Amino acid sequence: MPRYFFSLRHRPGENGLAVDHEGDELADETLVRAHALHVARETIAKDRMVTIRDWMVCSFEITDEAGRHIMTVPFSEVVSDEDDED
Amino acid sequence: MSPDDFALLQPHLQLVHTELRQTLIAPNEPVKQLFFPETGYVSMVTQGSQGDKVEAALIGWEGIVGASPVLLGTDRTPHHSFVQAPGKMLVIDKSALCAAVDQSPSLHKLLLRYTQVLLVEAVQTAFVNASYQIEVRLARWVVMCHDRVDGDELTMTHDFVAMMLGVQRSSATLAVQALEGLLLIKAKRGRMTVRDRQGLIDLADGGYGLPEAEYARLIEGA
Repeated sequence: MPRYFFSLRHRPGENGLAVDHEGDELADETLVRAHALHVARETIAKDRMVTIRDWMVCSFEITDEAGRHIMTVPFSEVVSDEDDED
Repeated sequence: MSPDDFALLQPHLQLVHTELRQTLIAPNEPVKQLFFPETGYVSMVTQGSQGDKVEAALIGWEGIVGASPVLLGTDRTPHHSFVQAPGKMLVIDKSALCAAVDQSPSLHKLLLRYTQVLLVEAVQTAFVNASYQIEVRLARWVVMCHDRVDGDELTMTHDFVAMMLGVQRSSATLAVQALEGLLLIKAKRGRMTVRDRQGLIDLADGGYGLPEAEYARLIEGA
């Protein structure tokens, strides 16, 4: 299965990206967005961090194994995608 | 442990090499063997309905894996204990351990006291998970792992850190970055080096230290 990397953008600039070197295996690209939204939803609901005041300004910058940018999924899309099924 | 108690156990101990993620105590299955880690350490975790795991306690050279169900008179536990850092461990059959405990009140007391320390540690973890943010929880956990290795290097993926702290991997990566930014650790893929242990303890803000003090009082001071 292909592996996709979900780096977390929390501030502009080089230091504002938490680079994902490990990734998640997903069958294909159509599942990438749903996975990003699922993780974003869990993060907003449960994860409390000193570093992040507001998860809503964060986004996932998603790349494939070749390092190509696949898509950017803002955490704020969780709100408008309430009935998005994972 | 007194030399007499060790002599009771010694003929029954067998040295084994453990592997990363090897299950030592499976949830809800009869415990057949107990383990004394010499190097490496073990996570005791509980599992949610979605298969998500959260760590309750770490067991290394200071402890024994399987003590709580066996010493407290039951044959199984819902918790899963598996190897988080591979190493050498002394394994003993449950029946041999129970026979030694029946024979020696001092050994029995020592192992019960260790079980109390484990309870204090699990409750402390619940407190820290409920009260502190992820960076602080990571700082405590890194110090706890550091207590159980020789040297300053810890091997762990962010996926694993996330699982142990019960958070998303991206949050674990952010927390690792934050500790690195404070010059407390140095992180490379799959590995961390402790740079400033006291700084980590300070950041852990009292989250670290209570079970460790109880260990010193009940086991080392015994």
